[in-house]
Amino acid sequence: MAQLLDPVATRSRSMRSGRPVKRALTSRWAYLFVLPALLVFLVFSIGPTIFAFALSLFNWNYLNAAMSKFVGLKNYVDLVKGTRDPSFWSTMWTSAQFVIPMVVGGTVISLLLALLLSGNSPVLYGVRTAVFLAHVTPFVGVSIVWVWLFNPRYGLVNAATALFGMAPRDWLGDPKTAMFAIVVFSLWHEVGFTLIIFLGGLTTLDKTLSEAAQIDRANKLQEIWYVILPQLRPYTIFVIVISTVFSLQAFTQFFVMTGGGPGFSTATLGFAVYQQAFIYRKTGYAAALAVVLFALTAVLSLLQLRASRNTGR
Amino acid sequence: MARRSSRKRWLSGLRNTAAALIGLAWLVPLLWMFLSSVSNDADVYRVPPKLWPAWNWGNYARAWAARPWPRYFANTLIIALSVVAFTLVTSILAGFAFALMRFRGSKTLFYVVMSVMMVPQTVLLIPNFILAHTTGLYDTYWIQILPWAASVFGIFLLRQTLSALPTEIFEAAELDGAGPVSMLVRIAAPLAVPSLILIGLNTFMGSWSSFVWPYLMTQNDTVRPIEVGLQAFYGAEGTDWTGLSAAVTFTTLPVVILFFSLQKYFVQGAFSTQGAVQ
Repeated sequence: MAQLLDPVATRSRSMRSGRPVKRALTSRWAYLFVLPALLVFLVFSIGPTIFAFALSLFNWNYLNAAMSKFVGLKNYVDLVKGTRDPSFWSTMWTSAQFVIPMVVGGTVISLLLALLLSGNSPVLYGVRTAVFLAHVTPFVGVSIVWVWLFNPRYGLVNAATALFGMAPRDWLGDPKTAMFAIVVFSLWHEVGFTLIIFLGGLTTLDKTLSEAAQIDRANKLQEIWYVILPQLRPYTIFVIVISTVFSLQAFTQFFVMTGGGPGFSTATLGFAVYQQAFIYRKTGYAAALAVVLFALTAVLSLLQLRASRNTGR
Repeated sequence: MARRSSRKRWLSGLRNTAAALIGLAWLVPLLWMFLSSVSNDADVYRVPPKLWPAWNWGNYARAWAARPWPRYFANTLIIALSVVAFTLVTSILAGFAFALMRFRGSKTLFYVVMSVMMVPQTVLLIPNFILAHTTGLYDTYWIQILPWAASVFGIFLLRQTLSALPTEIFEAAELDGAGPVSMLVRIAAPLAVPSLILIGLNTFMGSWSSFVWPYLMTQNDTVRPIEVGLQAFYGAEGTDWTGLSAAVTFTTLPVVILFFSLQKYFVQGAFSTQGAVQ
């Protein structure tokens, strides 16, 4: 390509007598080009984010906005003191019960799967496709399927655990197991995505390092631990950050499978924003929760940015 | 030497077997969904469950008649294709400007665009719900299209793609008297087709799968998409498992077919999203 274009390039360079500025590409057209996208972002993302901050300072009246009362930081005070029901801290604890298993489990499982499934055999290719297919299926439909799988009387999950002599359980109806069940479903759905990231990472490995390890008679585990994992570090960081962000915002599976229940046992932060705003009509408080979600996401994104810079990527 | 290679073959056999078992386990929920959708009701409510179905396709007819599915499908396509069209146009315009054009404030504006990535959809639900009601966009196609008419990922990916092009092509075009619009349409767009396909597919899938947004921003079946319709069917017929399985199957199948026909792009799409963060 470059060679093909070289004569042209040489000619144009000489004709512009050393001026590096291209006229057509410095025109005011540029503003016109970025305008549509910026307008969309301003109206539907940036503006509303600022509005959400503002809403969190009000006791918002959803029926008549004019009747809303400015209450300053009261919603945040309630949040820190945990005076709402459920308290903010119990919402955060519930979120942790979802986010931590999703991030740790998701990262470990997709990394192990990537190590197992990278390769050219048709079997490995087929399995990669199967795992990724689950990720592609729309959430509402497969959530319904898993409700059926977890059915206390006729579900396949209980039929399977019965083989190991376990008593049947009401997985989604019991506050002790509901979150676990949703984590299992969510891992099934999400691991395909992080698997692809790790598989991509594995293709970038420096083969000479692995060869050197083999010459030094490192076994496969040592090779993975000392040679492969350090090289995958930027990918691991990315997977951890993106799964934290996704899990914090998770919504549909909670909506379909448990409605945040039983009680509030599966009402994580992402679900609580919806629940407080649209079911309990506590718009101001819900906006404060949304601001917390925003802050967490922003901090994580910045950390990711910093980590990727430090590793030179 | 011979012993070593037989050990190797044994290991790779073990690896393939383990992988195949995992793959099968992963497919069980989808297989179960399909088997339930062609089972008799009585067979589904049985302990232990009956694995081989009676091939009762009547479940599909019953589920299909219960809801305005053609309307839902049409709505989903109208919305998703509009979002794709808008996103492609806004992305290539902005991507072209950020990659190749020089203008004051371009860096700042690019940071503004990137910062939008940090805003979770959940944060936007409440303010946009109020916005939709005050502007009359509530319960229309537009509230499902316009907020997603631009994509940070799309702009970022096209900026990457276009800034990798040799500038000489554009210099040559300028000598021929081409302005920025014709450079974009005649040179940049055709060369960015693979990226455009990626963005289009990602956007289409995102729109097709979205649930909470259309659920909150609409109330009539005339504008509601398939996922919201499926949830409504589940809410109303929560105990008709064979009918539900049929509905889940025929609403998921188009996505599965799309996935298998464009698999390469799905994988690239998943992989390239990380570029947006790095």
